[in-house]
Amino acid sequence: MTQNDTGGNIPALRTDRLGRRYGRVWGLRNCTLEVPAGVIAGLVGPNGAGKTTLLEMIIGLLQPTEGQLSVFGETSHAPMAARLAQVGYVAQDHPLYRDFSVGDMFHLGRAMNPSWDQKLALARTDALDIPLKRKVKSLSGGQRAQVSLTMALAKRAPLLVLDEPVSSLDPVARLEFMREVMAAAAGTGLTVIIASHVVSELERFCDWLIVLTGGHVQLAGPADNLIAAHRLLTVPRATTDAELPGLPVHRTDSDRHSSVLVRADPGRRAVQERPGWQADPVGFEQLVMAYLQRPSKSAARDDTAQAAARPGPNTKAVTR
Amino acid sequence: MIWVSWRQHRGQAIACLAVLAALAVYAILLGTSMRTAFGHDALTACLARSQGTACPAAIQAFTNRFGSEVNIAFWSVVLIVPGLIGVLVGGSLIARELEYGTWRLAWSQTVPRARWLAVKLALVTGGLIVLGAAMTGVITWYRAPMDRLTGHLQHNIYDFEGLVLTAYILSAFGFAVLAGLLLRRSIPAMVAAFIPWLAIRLVVEFVFRDHFLAPLTTTVNCTQVCGEGIGFVPQATGRIGDLVLSINGNVVTYQPADRFWTFQFIEAGIFVALTAAALGATIWLLHRRAA
Amino acid sequence: MFRFRLDGSSGVPPYLQLVHQVRQSLLLGYLEEGDRLPTVKDVAADLAINPNTVVKAYRQLEHEGLAGGRPGQGTFITATSSTALPEEQQVLRASLEEWLRAVEEAGLDEEAVTALIAVARQDMKKEKV
Repeated sequence: MTQNDTGGNIPALRTDRLGRRYGRVWGLRNCTLEVPAGVIAGLVGPNGAGKTTLLEMIIGLLQPTEGQLSVFGETSHAPMAARLAQVGYVAQDHPLYRDFSVGDMFHLGRAMNPSWDQKLALARTDALDIPLKRKVKSLSGGQRAQVSLTMALAKRAPLLVLDEPVSSLDPVARLEFMREVMAAAAGTGLTVIIASHVVSELERFCDWLIVLTGGHVQLAGPADNLIAAHRLLTVPRATTDAELPGLPVHRTDSDRHSSVLVRADPGRRAVQERPGWQADPVGFEQLVMAYLQRPSKSAARDDTAQAAARPGPNTKAVTR
Repeated sequence: MIWVSWRQHRGQAIACLAVLAALAVYAILLGTSMRTAFGHDALTACLARSQGTACPAAIQAFTNRFGSEVNIAFWSVVLIVPGLIGVLVGGSLIARELEYGTWRLAWSQTVPRARWLAVKLALVTGGLIVLGAAMTGVITWYRAPMDRLTGHLQHNIYDFEGLVLTAYILSAFGFAVLAGLLLRRSIPAMVAAFIPWLAIRLVVEFVFRDHFLAPLTTTVNCTQVCGEGIGFVPQATGRIGDLVLSINGNVVTYQPADRFWTFQFIEAGIFVALTAAALGATIWLLHRRAA
Repeated sequence: MFRFRLDGSSGVPPYLQLVHQVRQSLLLGYLEEGDRLPTVKDVAADLAINPNTVVKAYRQLEHEGLAGGRPGQGTFITATSSTALPEEQQVLRASLEEWLRAVEEAGLDEEAVTALIAVARQDMKKEKV
């Protein structure tokens, strides 16, 4: 279930140089990545980075301008109904029909989805104390979010896509919402993709990571492997990039020393010990923040970023 | 999907029924009153004998009493009502989903959006046809006594009887649905659809209608009743129901009363074609955006 | 039922926090051999964390011999409080507590302690060479 199985099972998502243009602006470009089935993936990036573009293409609300995309093997050329059946979607702000009752929303779900599981929908609203007769406009923000989530889960699709699902919720509602998502993923093999621009909370939810800035993928792969492949080095200020045992991702210079986040090349040996050098493991949030701050036009580095992130013989998870 | 479309338009359907009910109440009251007066004044017998020339005073009294609904103000209001119904129903059909972001919900279910739209349009169009037919029926019923004096080729009356009322509603609806997709906002869509609809409506009525078929001419000896317009019973041609276009000395150019249905088919055909074009364009554009 | 907690800002990876809590509870006597740990789903829902993380923690516990899964029944504690920490480590732990007390009295904070340990380690390595 963790990390390394891309063999055998059809990946939940596979893209190959996927791109989408709006007029003359590319919302997403040269996106190549893979998300295996059963993981909970975090899609991180600032607003406007291309997260919603990527998600809408995955769901089938948008067509690619170039490149390929497949969800559990169904490409963007497959019949629409087949594609739509695979993804449960909770959009930002949890859109629902305000004049409908909760029961009406479920009726809609049943009418528009052959795979609808009404028992599941009823069980969830029952457990959450949400009355079926209540109109959506009378629900609290947290309850609306839960109803939206129920709509997506009752569809029984193998992939669940959440676009910034908790950004409009208060802290308690946030916790309740994510509890339900994690519980739904446990033991069912559900694949989840969560888009967010709040990095600090992702570590507990995600075991797969995709960092997106300026329409380009900066980092993609299993969270554990990525963290293991990076080191935070403390080195003398005068050290040049070439002397570093890996690709520098982010560098902060002080008067006498520099702090450099490096990605160890799979071929190179582990950080070499040198006087005045210190190597520390990188935290999840540090890693993501470093990649978020890189300039987005690093197309050449994207391929190496993913090559390093892909599970390989030298990048097994290190026990701390 | 049929249930979903119905549930989404349930409110509008109820509002339309209310309008129809109000119209029916008005119609029943006025219609019954007219029938009573018609009988009371023995107008039936008079019309059986002549084309109205035998009882001008009775006719005058009747039209004075019930003719107010054909004055300009009333007519202006009722001109725009079918257009209003059409744009109010159509403007928000797609636009509201785009405005409120519910398109993300609606079009990510397992129904491709082209089918979603097609079912919705079929249901709502069907509903509007039923509404138009019912309104036409109610109006035709209540106006029957008056129509025996004026015929229904006259400009005001023609607009509410036969087929055109339904066609007006449908065309306004079609324009508004298309505008809703293009403008993505309900109210601007309603306005943007209403204006061209009204323009076309007026142009068809005042420029083209009188000449759908080549008018006929006849020579008459004008003594008393020789004028154009709805107030004259009978018309200058000597027959009730003809539409007089112009009088030049003794020559009267007119459209005969029996061309009513032909003209109705032609005009309804124009507006139905416009409806089909607008809705077809909408479906095609929506399908293309998904692709 | 045994309930975990998660400190989101501690810097320690979630799965390790779970492992530590089991080990600590064993040492303190709050968990005993034969106790059943909550299911992956229960922990994931309770803490709002990735169920795969819980799986990883439970696998780590198995690897360290502290707990084991019985197919169809759940995960159970297999160690006792004495086997949780081998004897040599208990001795080391005692001397460590002494040293930590001294450090506290000397007024060093967390970072100073870490730096001190790092420097000492480096010096030792140099000595070996």
